[in-house]
Amino acid sequence: MNFISQTLAVTSMNLRNIPRRLGNSLVIVIGIAGAVAVFIPILAMSISFRATIEGDGSDTRAIVLTHRAIAESDSSLSRDEVIAIMDYPQVMRDSRGRAVASGEVILVAPVSRKRDHSDVNVTLRGVGEQYFAMRPELELRSGRMFESGKQELIVGTGAVSQFDGLQIGENLRLQDGDWKVVGTFAGSHGARESEVVADALTVMSAYKLNSFNSLTVALRSPRELAAFSKTVEQNSKSLLRARSEPEYLATASESVNRMLRLVGYSIGSIMALGALFSALNSMYSAVSARRVEMATLRALGFSSMAVAGGVLIEALLLALIGAAVGAAFAFAFFDGATISTLGGAVWDSQLVYSLSITPVLATGVVLLACALGLAGGLLPAMRAARANIAEVLHET
Amino acid sequence: MKFLPLVWAGLWRRPVRSILTASSIVVAFVLLGLLQGVNTGFDRAIAAANRNFLVTGTRVRGGAPMPISAMSKIRNVPGVLDVAPRAYFMEDDNRSKENYLAALATDPDLFFRMQHKANVDKKDLDAMRRIRTGLLATPELLQLFKWKVGDAVTVRSRSLQTDGNPDWTFNIVGTFTMPATAYFGVINYDYFDSNRAADRGTAEMFYVEIQDPTRALAMSAAIDRIFANSSHESRTRSQQERAEARAKQMGDVKLFTNAIMGAVLFTLAFLTGNTLRQSLQDRSREFAVLRAFGYSVNHVLSLAFAEALLLYLPPALVGLGLARLLAPLWKEDFGSIVVSPEVAVMGLSCAAILALVGAALPVWNLSRTPVAGALRKT
Repeated sequence: MNFISQTLAVTSMNLRNIPRRLGNSLVIVIGIAGAVAVFIPILAMSISFRATIEGDGSDTRAIVLTHRAIAESDSSLSRDEVIAIMDYPQVMRDSRGRAVASGEVILVAPVSRKRDHSDVNVTLRGVGEQYFAMRPELELRSGRMFESGKQELIVGTGAVSQFDGLQIGENLRLQDGDWKVVGTFAGSHGARESEVVADALTVMSAYKLNSFNSLTVALRSPRELAAFSKTVEQNSKSLLRARSEPEYLATASESVNRMLRLVGYSIGSIMALGALFSALNSMYSAVSARRVEMATLRALGFSSMAVAGGVLIEALLLALIGAAVGAAFAFAFFDGATISTLGGAVWDSQLVYSLSITPVLATGVVLLACALGLAGGLLPAMRAARANIAEVLHET
Repeated sequence: MKFLPLVWAGLWRRPVRSILTASSIVVAFVLLGLLQGVNTGFDRAIAAANRNFLVTGTRVRGGAPMPISAMSKIRNVPGVLDVAPRAYFMEDDNRSKENYLAALATDPDLFFRMQHKANVDKKDLDAMRRIRTGLLATPELLQLFKWKVGDAVTVRSRSLQTDGNPDWTFNIVGTFTMPATAYFGVINYDYFDSNRAADRGTAEMFYVEIQDPTRALAMSAAIDRIFANSSHESRTRSQQERAEARAKQMGDVKLFTNAIMGAVLFTLAFLTGNTLRQSLQDRSREFAVLRAFGYSVNHVLSLAFAEALLLYLPPALVGLGLARLLAPLWKEDFGSIVVSPEVAVMGLSCAAILALVGAALPVWNLSRTPVAGALRKT
């Protein structure tokens, strides 16, 4: 018999024996299922958070901020600066010759989170009239657009789903009294759908603000970015800085991203270590329960490699079952779950996002679990292969 | 009677199994300690908030600040002991500097009465009272800017002085420490407000000291009623409510940590329960021998329980200890993780419950097996 058929024979014998030591085999399955069921949602949280923030980015758009500003709220642009930059040649124009750009102010609006009725803030963004032209991925879903000069709001569908008081027709108490919700919008699968949007000039007059926070422009083409940045930098004597939108969004979300990754990998690696111990424990027990059979096999002429291979394959299969159970659990309970946490455009405003457990993520974690299973099977397999046949057989 | 040595020997019958099980317990309790530490950190922050203080701010954030005249109206509310305004001083210039000074402009006396976890020298507070341009700073802040007590520092701000000068000079008169690392200073509101060009005579918040903390809710409502339907509606909350709201904004951290702890405990209960079952079953014959020698059933069973406790408690303690050592690693990113004695007690109780529950079923089986029957089995 060659090595492969020997290994297969040992494996099938081992597997058929599992029901007799079910408790033990379940240890590796449950240990790994537990680790996978925790690790997948945490990683999904970090990945979905990032995807949502960066979902708004398009390299055809550039954002202008004060030179040292990390986030929009740290930045301030005067009306003159905004008007001047909108005239730059790299900025796209619509059929009527108007710049496709939006000078924006961001503030927060207090709302109540539906899930726990806690007081949280959503981002209130005052935008220019070309906001939707500049972000063609967004569209009105219901109601109508706000009228400039009136205290009216449109709300992203993400925010409508998570917070109270944002349905069409409801009023939100902001500066200068009540602001009425007149429409909802969606489309980008990004952070914008967590926001409440109003006309920038109306917001600025109500809040007595004299400056914008940021200016976002649609470029004629992504290739114009370098020229645009250079013009902005030179004309503002380096006080202002233009970046492509994806670049800005990546840096703006870096700190929360870092925290989520840190939490994810810390908890994940501790769980993985625990799962490794459980796999080792389980496979050592499996090997020691079957010492005599394995010694007998080797006395019959099976190679020690085949015996070890059988143990490894058993460990791998059990780990795979555990990983599948854990992944199924994570998928059933967390895929598509919508949550809101800090992470909006203002430091204390909420970001609404959905956990999506992507095939890549699930496959990665399942592979990791298989590696854990193999690692847990390795030492016990070596013990099985090395045991002294004569001694073991004498024991009985 | 050699009770302990017997228990000890029982544990080491299968050293590999015991060590691996103990290691799983250590790992699980590192995680439990850290997660429960996160919960405790939040609870502490909420509990630490001084219940004798309310904070009155504008109802709508980002709107115009409150006029200083509101201060005397708040002071007239029965039960209010003292009121102090608060404004922000921000350094800001376009010379691209790395760090910027942020300071709270307020009444230092009342501020430090409210922040009772902060530590400030009485003589430094006295100096603040004498020196209008005084600045109190945390040691961390001084280190960051390489300043020292006694220095006069000049910083540029977007709030111009009445004469149009953007440069403000402060005298560092002393230091204070906060419970956590903090980079801010405290300056005199009077000096800041009387010298600023814009927003003069306003404050973005008021700290309100009240007599009776149990009336915090009613007093908050009474204060907000004064400004209802005015151009500057207010929102008053106790320090405790504010701390709670901050914790909730993070997202539902407790739900998250509790869910993970649940998953970890379930997995651990299963793993270790299985170990105990096996270990006790393997030795049912030995227990029968003990009983044949004249040990009582209860004695033999307590041997089994003691073994379970010995398997769980020391590794749990090691795990919690490791959690305590590891907690500072996350401080920068995740705030304070407090692995306090209460967390340790909670953890050890969990461990004891897992041990007793895990051992209960096999022990029950043992107690029902007749001695002769167990001895006959090979």
